[in-house]
Amino acid sequence: MSDLSKLNFTSSRPLTLGVELELQLVSLRDFDLTRAATDLLSGLRYDDRFGEVKLEITESMIEINSRPRIDVTGIAIDLDGLREVLVTYCQRNNIAICGGGTHPFHHWPERRICPGERFAFLNERYGYLSKQFTVFGQHIHIGVSSGDDAIWLTHALNRYVPHFVALSASSPFMDMTDTGFESARLNAVSAFPLSGQAPDISDWSAFVDHMGILQSCGVAESIKDLYWDVRPKPEYGTVEVRVCDTPLSVDRAVELAAFAQSLARYLLRERPPVVPAMQTLVARYNKFQACRFGFKAELADPIRRCVEPLGQTLQDLFDTLAQDADDLGCRRQLEQLRVLAHSQYGDSVWLRETAKAAGNFHDLTRAATERFSRPSRYRPHA
Amino acid sequence: MMPVRQAWEALQDRLVFLPPFPEQLDPLALFALLLVGGLLAGETLFRTIGLSRIVGYVLAGALAGPGLLGWLDRETLSMAKPVADAALGLLLLETGRHLDLGWLRANRTLLGCAMGEAGLAFAAIFAFAFFAVGLSLGWSAATAAITMASAPAVVLLTAEENRAQGQVTQRTLLLTAINCALSFVVFAVVLGVVHAEQSGDWLNALAHPLWVVCGGIGIGMLCARLALTIAARQAKGSVTQVFIFVAVALLAIGVARMLGVPVFLCLFMMGAALNLADRNKVLAYTGLPQGHWILAIVLFVVTGAMLPLDDLNWVTSFQAVGLIGVRGVAKFAGVMMTGRQDLSVAKRRLVGIGIQPLSATAIFMAAELASIYPEVSSQALLLPLLAAALMEFAGPQMCKYALSKAGETEPLPVGRNR
Repeated sequence: MSDLSKLNFTSSRPLTLGVELELQLVSLRDFDLTRAATDLLSGLRYDDRFGEVKLEITESMIEINSRPRIDVTGIAIDLDGLREVLVTYCQRNNIAICGGGTHPFHHWPERRICPGERFAFLNERYGYLSKQFTVFGQHIHIGVSSGDDAIWLTHALNRYVPHFVALSASSPFMDMTDTGFESARLNAVSAFPLSGQAPDISDWSAFVDHMGILQSCGVAESIKDLYWDVRPKPEYGTVEVRVCDTPLSVDRAVELAAFAQSLARYLLRERPPVVPAMQTLVARYNKFQACRFGFKAELADPIRRCVEPLGQTLQDLFDTLAQDADDLGCRRQLEQLRVLAHSQYGDSVWLRETAKAAGNFHDLTRAATERFSRPSRYRPHA
Repeated sequence: MMPVRQAWEALQDRLVFLPPFPEQLDPLALFALLLVGGLLAGETLFRTIGLSRIVGYVLAGALAGPGLLGWLDRETLSMAKPVADAALGLLLLETGRHLDLGWLRANRTLLGCAMGEAGLAFAAIFAFAFFAVGLSLGWSAATAAITMASAPAVVLLTAEENRAQGQVTQRTLLLTAINCALSFVVFAVVLGVVHAEQSGDWLNALAHPLWVVCGGIGIGMLCARLALTIAARQAKGSVTQVFIFVAVALLAIGVARMLGVPVFLCLFMMGAALNLADRNKVLAYTGLPQGHWILAIVLFVVTGAMLPLDDLNWVTSFQAVGLIGVRGVAKFAGVMMTGRQDLSVAKRRLVGIGIQPLSATAIFMAAELASIYPEVSSQALLLPLLAAALMEFAGPQMCKYALSKAGETEPLPVGRNR
């Protein structure tokens, strides 16, 4: 039996933010993914002033983590600072970093697993899925004061998974093919046995019991093994939204963090009724709709027994969140998302248009690296 | 052979369609034999004792060459030379494309590292040839110019064969491209020095280096521009672009041979010009077709056969080993002394080992020089040729070791040979 004492929930200041971005490492010669992460990290002379830079499962990925911040300005400072550091060091190694949920033309069997016990374990357990997991997401952490709040917010945010997917979608291409999806990345995540929506658990003690069952059956050793769309992260004292594609720019990543913070504030303040069992009925379908059609998705509402166009519900939601965004100082970022939802000109549309204009995926990735290298307008001194 | 010939000639009287008895191998048949022989030797060594395939190709050539079994005589070798020229040319074209000025601008320590290792190698080899072996000033400089460069064909094919990716691989390729460029510049100057030393002919001492340098740059740049102009009308990375790329490269080889400009220099310059002038990335994503391995096999078999193994004796072997040692230490020290903030000591050490190969380019450069003053060059160029001969066998293994030790080669899937 595993030790459950580590599942103590560390309380954190409500609504603090943290953002993780998984980034692509591409060669400047042909813009294909390349084996570069350990070399990049070992050559990095950086003092963690903006947060951490970490290895991910394959050598063609790198993860950046902001520090815990109380507002999106702090997140912008951290993410843009990390971007700047990485751009500089990547140039010295003749590689580039790139946003986007998938790389459009890499050949997944060529990926190399990073050194480390955890990565070796994942490779052993999941076989070829571990190399196919070379996809890139943005995770947003939102601070909560207790484990019970974390479980409640996890369920409450589940309803908005399609909204996060549509706003961040940046993975229309895989294996040199237009998948027809706005976000094809989540299909790679769906292959994992512990992915999807959190089960109907009422509070923190029920969650600890649930983990106890999984651990005793050998299904999961820790929360790291749960690839849920939204999950509690007890050691950070946060709830983690894990469904966003990594956007093509730091600005979009900051805007998504603003959306998550405003939404969490609204939910924790208003405490609208949440019925996990009903949500579970349509969760996979709604997520598929958002992945496939983006803003044009038609979402099933099992409570009201009707269909809602995602584009319209987003506009209504932005109206609802306006006051919370004002109070949090992130109205500007939320308004950008409103414009995005209205125009429906997201990252996936940009990728398709650029690919069409370029006529090949190499130049598309080159354009995406140039886009990601631009400084953020939300960073105060920029 | 005589009875066969007599029988053939007897039959000719009655069978009117029979051609005269073939005096020598048809070039295509020779090409095929070199290819199959080299391939079998390379595969056998690779599968049995894990040696680099390149060593096998060279060994096959050396065994069949005039120095040992004599199956390939000098006349036969000269027939295969155009194919070897084309192979070396294409590989140098690819090496030239690794001369990445953008990377050098972004990381200035790399330029210091390249200048350091190439400069130290030249100085050390020159001093060894002049003081220890007693060659003249001109031939010492020629020896240093020829052997200061790494072997681009070996480095490129070793990286490709092992699907190596990472900083040790990339830096080994970049340093090889830069030390080749420097070696070519010094080689051109040395041509003048040799003219002045051998014949006191100042016109040729000035005109020949200029002819070589201007010819190489001119042909390289014109062909690069031609390739880019034609390829711009085709889809990027398409098969048509590959054909254009190879066809223009072959044109450059042909023109270089017609004008007496070293093929390796022209193609290297073409590669470098393609890299510099291709702002719209017209040909940036188009590489050599997989068929270049066929040409590479012939190149290494021919190179092996050209090695002066019959000149190996205790004295010359000792001198060649001395040159390899001095050169190796200089290159290694050049890499280790620079870039401390840029790359870990362990990785710099591996780059220092990765750039050690010395082979085909050196032999072809020596052949260029030998063709000018054949009566004196055979002895004077023996030292670099013997050093290249020994490194033909050690170089590919050293390069493979460096890339593999750095963890940059692709692990082989269970039950599959690369």
